[in-house]
Amino acid sequence: MFNEKTSKVAKGSLKYLTGGSGRPLIHLHGAGGVRPNPGLEALGKNVTLYMPVLPGFDGTSTIDGVDSMETLADLVADFIDKEIGEAADIIGLSFGGWLGAWVAVRHPDKVGQLCLENPAGFRPDSVPAPSSDPETRKQEMYAYPDRVPAETKSEEMLAQNRAMLAHYHGDTSFDADLAGQLGKIECLTMIMHGTRDGRVPEEAVQLLKRDIPRSHLIYVYDAAHSLETDQPARFAHLVSDFMERAEAFLVNQGAAGVRPQQVL
Amino acid sequence: MRFSYTHHMPYTGVTDAGQDWPVPNKQFDAEKGVEMFDRYIEDKIYAEQAGFDWIGSNEHHFSPYGMMPNPNLVGAVVANRTRRAGILQSGNIVPISNPIRIAEEYAMLDVMSGGRLIAGFMRGIPHEYVAYNVSPDESYGRMYEAIELIKKAWSSPEPFGWEGEFYQFRAVSIWPRPVQKPYPRILMSASSDASARLAAEVGASAGFLRIADFDSARNQIKVYRDRAKECGWSPTADDVMIGMNCCIAPTYEEAKEILQNGQKYFFGVLGGGIRTAQQLVVQKTRYFKDAGAAEKFAKKTAVQREVSFDERVERGLIVCGTPEMAIDQIRRIHGELGNGRMNLSVKIGNIADHHVTRTLDYLRDVVFPAVRPLGEDNDPAQAAE
Repeated sequence: MFNEKTSKVAKGSLKYLTGGSGRPLIHLHGAGGVRPNPGLEALGKNVTLYMPVLPGFDGTSTIDGVDSMETLADLVADFIDKEIGEAADIIGLSFGGWLGAWVAVRHPDKVGQLCLENPAGFRPDSVPAPSSDPETRKQEMYAYPDRVPAETKSEEMLAQNRAMLAHYHGDTSFDADLAGQLGKIECLTMIMHGTRDGRVPEEAVQLLKRDIPRSHLIYVYDAAHSLETDQPARFAHLVSDFMERAEAFLVNQGAAGVRPQQVL
Repeated sequence: MRFSYTHHMPYTGVTDAGQDWPVPNKQFDAEKGVEMFDRYIEDKIYAEQAGFDWIGSNEHHFSPYGMMPNPNLVGAVVANRTRRAGILQSGNIVPISNPIRIAEEYAMLDVMSGGRLIAGFMRGIPHEYVAYNVSPDESYGRMYEAIELIKKAWSSPEPFGWEGEFYQFRAVSIWPRPVQKPYPRILMSASSDASARLAAEVGASAGFLRIADFDSARNQIKVYRDRAKECGWSPTADDVMIGMNCCIAPTYEEAKEILQNGQKYFFGVLGGGIRTAQQLVVQKTRYFKDAGAAEKFAKKTAVQREVSFDERVERGLIVCGTPEMAIDQIRRIHGELGNGRMNLSVKIGNIADHHVTRTLDYLRDVVFPAVRPLGEDNDPAQAAE
């Protein structure tokens, strides 16, 4: 469903996957890199997804001068300029949600609507860090590990992807600079949190809801951190509805509405 | 030992309610209904004066079995007219109701009572699903999801939405919020393995009702305690509540006659239509998750039907007799099961209201003072394992 392309941005080139039909939606990936999955495929029935491979992830090279969340956000804004040519909607998963918030703060004119999906970067110091034990980590990541598509990336690539997190944000788990600027986010924002997410704490999404002016917090039942694979139908339905109806997505459409089961 | 008083508020103006489901309501006499509601509410208020720690109200539909399709209305009256007792809603039938409505009404009760609510989350007995046209197959799925949603509605300081399997809400922010933080104490039925595990997972106190014998009750408590341990917490004796019918009189013979007649009316007249619907649900749906749970349910029903009254008293399944006998029976139950709470149903079927009051007086004057210390400093694990 998704085709690989390359975008020529000011500071270099950026690989991206694109596919689907409908208005453009920029998808910013998490720590695992770009990962097509049934949730994104279902979402692609209603929007055209643009999924840039952020520099250094998935075997790509880093770009000189792009070594922080701020400069990475500038790069995404440039990507939107080059590929979309006007303000675009953004959805970001985990690390990508953190980045999406930075784009909205630094480039409000480039963002239409914003969706933060289990966003990292806002875990207060008072909340213990997630587990590093592999088995516990797996439970925190996936409510339904069997729904995760087969791994196509090498161990080496996955390790490199994880290393890129430190490249962009060091060992920060609470981005105080960004947290202090959340009030500047002007666009309509939806914060999604899986009820079984063991990586992003409740305190983080409550903070985002409190400080982003036009925001909605939606809990996705029975999903862990990997929300797109745990509950692909709910994910696609919710994001599609939010993107299509904006603020009016609060209002029940009755029989005219599409239920999650009909999305897949 | 602490005590909860449950009163089903039955409609006792019928002599033969038949076996049809739902029970035709043409038999309901409104004038009698007015009198009964008055009397029953006074009984509930009196229960606080008699020393009960909790006063319970519960939800049932479409039969004279109970006149409380919305127990929260009765709970509101009890909350307003009492000052000390816990307001036990045991409870709202979660899978057949709007969970946000439950969160709101329970929050109201907690505020109206100054933080005395004990929030009962019940799955209900099978016929309720026919009444509200909800698939019994979905009962556990709805229960799990609704409880998470209700807890979130009570505890989230920011407005939120919910995208679930059975429930979708885009903007929730209940007013008022409960007094108890992060949310009110929760009580759930733990009368099957699945429900015992669920109560433990929710962190709820557990009610074990209509036990068939001490061995099976001990096993049930063990399921609850073991699962709680896996979830990282340890129920105390106070979290284990055993439910029993209770009748106290000057002699065993008199207490037996009163309770036996009340039970006969309860099962024979009030329970007819309910059984009809129940059989349909149990036989034709997956209300019970597995055959084992269905067997246990059948066993409990059989005990009521096949075991003689005297034998049930002998087995310790009923609190009945003189005040001194009741003390011994409660001590025995505690010794066997390690419970710190008992739920006593005193108005069984058409037992006369003055007999209900007499039982409450015996409890206040003789029984409660003797059994209060039970369960205060022991560990129910010893009895349950």
